Amino acid sequence: MIEATGLTKRYGGKTAVDNIDFTVKPGMVTGFLGPNGAGKSTTMRLIVGLDRPTSGRVTVNGSRYSELKAPLHEVGVLLDAKAVHTGRTAFNHLLALAATHRIPRSRVHEVIGLTGLESVAGQRVGGFSLGMGQRLGIAAALLGDPSTLILDEPVNGLDPEGVIWVRELARHLASEGRTIFLSSHLMSEMAQTADHIIVLGRGRIIANAPVADIVALATGKAVHVRTPDAAKLTKLLGAKKATVTTGQPDVLEVTGMTAPEIGELAAKEGVVLHELTPAAGSLEDAYLALTQDEVEYHTREVTR
Amino acid sequence: MSATTTATSPAGQHNLSFGGVVRSEWIKLRTLRSTVWCYLIIIVVTIGLALLLAASSRSSAGPRGGAAAALPGQAAWLQVTTPGIGLAQLVVAVLGALVITGEYGTGMIRSTFAAVPTRLPAVVAKALVLGVSTFVVSLVALIAAALVTAPFMPDKGVTPDFGDWHIWWALVGGAGYLAFIALLSFSIGALIRNSAGGIAASLGFILVVPTIVSIFASVTQADWVRNLGSFLPSDAGGRMYAYVTDAAVKSTDLIVLTPWQGALVLAAWIVLLFAIAAVLVKRRDA
Repeated sequence: MIEATGLTKRYGGKTAVDNIDFTVKPGMVTGFLGPNGAGKSTTMRLIVGLDRPTSGRVTVNGSRYSELKAPLHEVGVLLDAKAVHTGRTAFNHLLALAATHRIPRSRVHEVIGLTGLESVAGQRVGGFSLGMGQRLGIAAALLGDPSTLILDEPVNGLDPEGVIWVRELARHLASEGRTIFLSSHLMSEMAQTADHIIVLGRGRIIANAPVADIVALATGKAVHVRTPDAAKLTKLLGAKKATVTTGQPDVLEVTGMTAPEIGELAAKEGVVLHELTPAAGSLEDAYLALTQDEVEYHTREVTR
Repeated sequence: MSATTTATSPAGQHNLSFGGVVRSEWIKLRTLRSTVWCYLIIIVVTIGLALLLAASSRSSAGPRGGAAAALPGQAAWLQVTTPGIGLAQLVVAVLGALVITGEYGTGMIRSTFAAVPTRLPAVVAKALVLGVSTFVVSLVALIAAALVTAPFMPDKGVTPDFGDWHIWWALVGGAGYLAFIALLSFSIGALIRNSAGGIAASLGFILVVPTIVSIFASVTQADWVRNLGSFLPSDAGGRMYAYVTDAAVKSTDLIVLTPWQGALVLAAWIVLLFAIAAVLVKRRDA
């Protein structure tokens, strides 16, 4: 259980995290979503006490992270894959971290096996690929068998097989009743992993709801219509105050009316329809809709 | 949780403990190649330079040999035993800074502070492990240097006396000096958090500042400037491995620290810098 109240972090004049409140509950995967620079990593660093909040408070299992008696057993954290001394081997890195909590050497071997690092455990971390570094970071997070896991962009740099492994691991750990908090800037990843999603944009929470609700935000808004008589239908729909946009000559995107209403109208007026589909809102659409004003770095449309 | 008196949780898990943190820092120190290299260089330099000086000053023709011969007995033996300290101090200064700046540079410090969120135990354990390791390695190297130079001494009319506790104190003092320099550099490294900057600042403080002060002293001819120099880390610390007998007290206006005073002055520098570093480590974002 992670609880933040009024959490704020400013770096100089720039507000990275702006007075946010949220709770991450045990027994489910909570996704932390937002564009780059939204403040996800800062929030995670605040949770584990690496950065001090400018104001507000965040606790894990009711205590500030720095007050935990056995931090590694309560919280496992992957902040970035490169929080490792490049001159040390993966095994020695884990062994040194384990020693702080007298975690036995056997557990170090266990997490190495769990993350598939056996073949490279004796190599120095400096030569690791991003994916291997990511696995090592996850191994370190799992070391203390913690009840809460905080993973910042865990699938970054992983191959497809690794992505699926992280997804299954997160789901499995949540099913054991643990608190799983993982961030991503990829909506599609969240859609497949998370139960609940907190969307962050420019340091503020812009959505905090179950995945289904987030998807619903974008569902049923547009209806996809294909007709050979587009001009007539456009006119009819316009009279009903619906908004129509067209891409191709025979395709209309209609908002402001439901699919049954459009179908009934077309039947009454004798317009032939080849297709009538309520656009299934994807999490991707919802995410874009939610964050379009919150993205810090906008790209311009490519023009020729 | 309130009922348990041991540090063990029901699942056989242990709480974070200072002993564990010390063990962790020991693993970290010994598993880096830079540590191994630095300690090897210290051993080689200490023994090698002593041997070189002992062998070359056999024919008391060279200026060094002349100087050695001019000193009374045991002090001459000590002088050919300890020349490596001057070079070894540069190596331990580099090592001391790297032990902490290496973690900042690579990002390891975030893993360290996530495991030890109160931070200071990790920094103190790091310093402890560094200081003890440096002391042990340096002492072994210096004793070895004394052993290899001893056979050359009778040629110079000196009979090495292993029963002379002044010699032993000087060797312990030399090892202590190197350990202190490592800690001084460590504290500066913790302040600066950058390897190049930390090493440069440490070497500057150990080497350049004394030079500037001595130039200033020779220009002004002022005793207070010379006395100031005696309280700089390298000068004060250098007294730790001086061969001092009760009879060898000079009577001038200039301050000459005893080995113990020198050690205390250097220790005071370390405490000061370490305290500032500790406050900043605790307050800064990692």
